[in-house]
Amino acid sequence: MNQFPTPATQPAPVVAAAEAVIQLTGIEKIYQTKTIETVALNHVNLSIQRGEFVSVMGPSGCGKSTLLSIMGLLDEPTSGTVAIDGRAVTSYSDRELAHLRNHKIGFVFQSYHLINDLSVLDNVELPLLYRSGVSGKERRQRALAALDTVGLGARTRHFPSQLSGGQRQRVAIARALAGRPEIILADEPTGNLDSVMGEEIMDLLLTLNRQQGATIVMVTHDEQQALKTERIIRFFDGSQVN
Amino acid sequence: MIRHLFTLMWNRRRANALLIVEMFLAFVVLFAVGSIGTTLWRNYRQPLGFTYTDVWQLNFTTGQQPRAEQFGTLQQLLARLRSTPGVEEVALSASNTPFSFNDSRSSIEMKDEKGKTKRSINNVNVYNVGPELPKVLGLKVVAGRWFDRSDVASGANPPVVIDERMQRAMYPDGESAVGKMFPFDKKEQRIIGVVSAYRTDGELQEPLSSVLWQILPTDTIFLPQSILLKVRPGSGAALEKQLADDVRRIGPGWSSTIKPLAEMHQSQMKQLLTRPILLGSMSFFLLLNVALGLFGVLWLNISRRRGEIGVRRAMGATAGNISRQVLGEILVLTTFGLGLGLLVAAQFPLLGVFSVQTSVYLTAMVLAAGLLYLLATVCALYPSRLAAGIQPAVALREE
Ligand SMILES: Nc1ncnc2c1ncn2[C@@H]1O[C@H](COP(=O)(O)OP(=O)(O)OP(=O)(O)O)[C@@H](O)[C@H]1O
Ligand SMILES: [Mg+2]
Repeated sequence: MNQFPTPATQPAPVVAAAEAVIQLTGIEKIYQTKTIETVALNHVNLSIQRGEFVSVMGPSGCGKSTLLSIMGLLDEPTSGTVAIDGRAVTSYSDRELAHLRNHKIGFVFQSYHLINDLSVLDNVELPLLYRSGVSGKERRQRALAALDTVGLGARTRHFPSQLSGGQRQRVAIARALAGRPEIILADEPTGNLDSVMGEEIMDLLLTLNRQQGATIVMVTHDEQQALKTERIIRFFDGSQVN
Repeated sequence: MIRHLFTLMWNRRRANALLIVEMFLAFVVLFAVGSIGTTLWRNYRQPLGFTYTDVWQLNFTTGQQPRAEQFGTLQQLLARLRSTPGVEEVALSASNTPFSFNDSRSSIEMKDEKGKTKRSINNVNVYNVGPELPKVLGLKVVAGRWFDRSDVASGANPPVVIDERMQRAMYPDGESAVGKMFPFDKKEQRIIGVVSAYRTDGELQEPLSSVLWQILPTDTIFLPQSILLKVRPGSGAALEKQLADDVRRIGPGWSSTIKPLAEMHQSQMKQLLTRPILLGSMSFFLLLNVALGLFGVLWLNISRRRGEIGVRRAMGATAGNISRQVLGEILVLTTFGLGLGLLVAAQFPLLGVFSVQTSVYLTAMVLAAGLLYLLATVCALYPSRLAAGIQPAVALREE
């Protein structure tokens, strides 16, 4: 995956063979409301290696989505450090974090989160829109290529409301792919789909991992799917269990 | 990014139709008010051509006095006024004195050598004034000369003085009108001089071309009933009363009203500005309404679109990107409304509905558009900050 641009905030690192792409150290996340304090993550230490396909499992409310948000730099931990490519992002500005999210990370959400007023193609172009130096033509080409990858090359002019759930999820995956990120964070990407559709999506992710070397962290409730990945991380009540 | 915004807003045009219509209406109203305001402002900027400080207008009525005697009485009155201490200059005038709302208009036909009408100059203000008028009102002669004693006897071609606007209307190429013949009625008249202007309609009304004739002391057909008096600075009620008494004493059954021009000017301004100010304040409240509506819709939109904002943040948008997007969206909507409004506004200069210069319309368009963009920007400032502050993780969880 070295052909992808390295964020300007980081001089190109010399990558060791098994260096951690994402390194979480002593991560704690506490949600404070007026009445109660919820410990969503409790001293989590975790490292994701380059090219790994990891699944995260655990009962509802154990902190899986929170973990993904923190890995994806969408949320800050209450304490602990997140390092991407061996660099702690603690002191990064909003701009630098956005740059990292844009270049390094692709998100796939359980509820798709497509923008309903944009066509499939415009939705998929979104990550490239926030990347400087990408021409309109190139955006279009890369979005079309991503849509081809997920088998939706013929639906580019449709709007999300005109698609089935499985198709929407594939659009969401195409959107995550369009920016050619090294890391894909998928939060229950098959949760809303029937098993056949789920199978398809799973195959797609496996292909991405094996053929393009994408590092994937996927939250799932499906034991069968989890078994297809290289590593399963189990959570219970905010802590990792083995 | 701009294309993205246009695409997004185009796709949302139905949802935003009301807002676009609101912007459209606001533009049309602003355009109308702007046109009126620009016209008034332009008129205001043109020189009046005279000064009216310490000038009074004395209007008199002759009561039951036989007509044949009136001219003699008037001469007596003039003599009396001229010898009154405190009165510095005295000039007769027809009733179209400055700020009086009286006018006397005519049109002039310009003819070629064969006597065929080439074109006509309409809406010309025509004045009959005493030769002392420049001393009373400080009229500026810019070419040729004003009336003098020699003109009293000139029989064949009576002298006439015009203003610069009339000169331009007659000779658009910039030729001087002095010495040329002035085509009026059947009798040819000679232009002896040009004054800068004499805008008795006041500074707010459209400046018109003017022509001035002199009132001869020997005239026994036309009896002017206005006298303009230049009085000593600081003259007041005492002099006013004395003059009124003089009129009553000299003219049997005569009565008079005396008013300072400054006062007449003020009441004219008030009268002419009432409607524009009313219109202006109404449109101000309309704009306020539009602004509040806009603000409300934007605010609501932000809370409705938290998920979308979260997604954009996850895809790499900075907080700045988000706030610029909110601002950009409203500016694009404004542009849509403006586009429609311009289509309507452009009809006015194209069809020439009113006799208003195209440049006035253009100024009004620019003003209206600028004001609307400003309004939209101000309304979007807070919502855009709000949007930028949305925590992506929280927003994404909500859906
Ligand atoms: N904004 C918040 N405010 C308060 N508590 C929160 C907030 N977000 C998450 N939590 C709490 O943190 C805990 C972990 O939430 P999280 O969404 O990470 O669970 P999850 O493992 O993804 O669950 P699921 O499998 O149902 O998606 C939960 O107990 C939840 O109630
Ligand atoms: Mg979850």
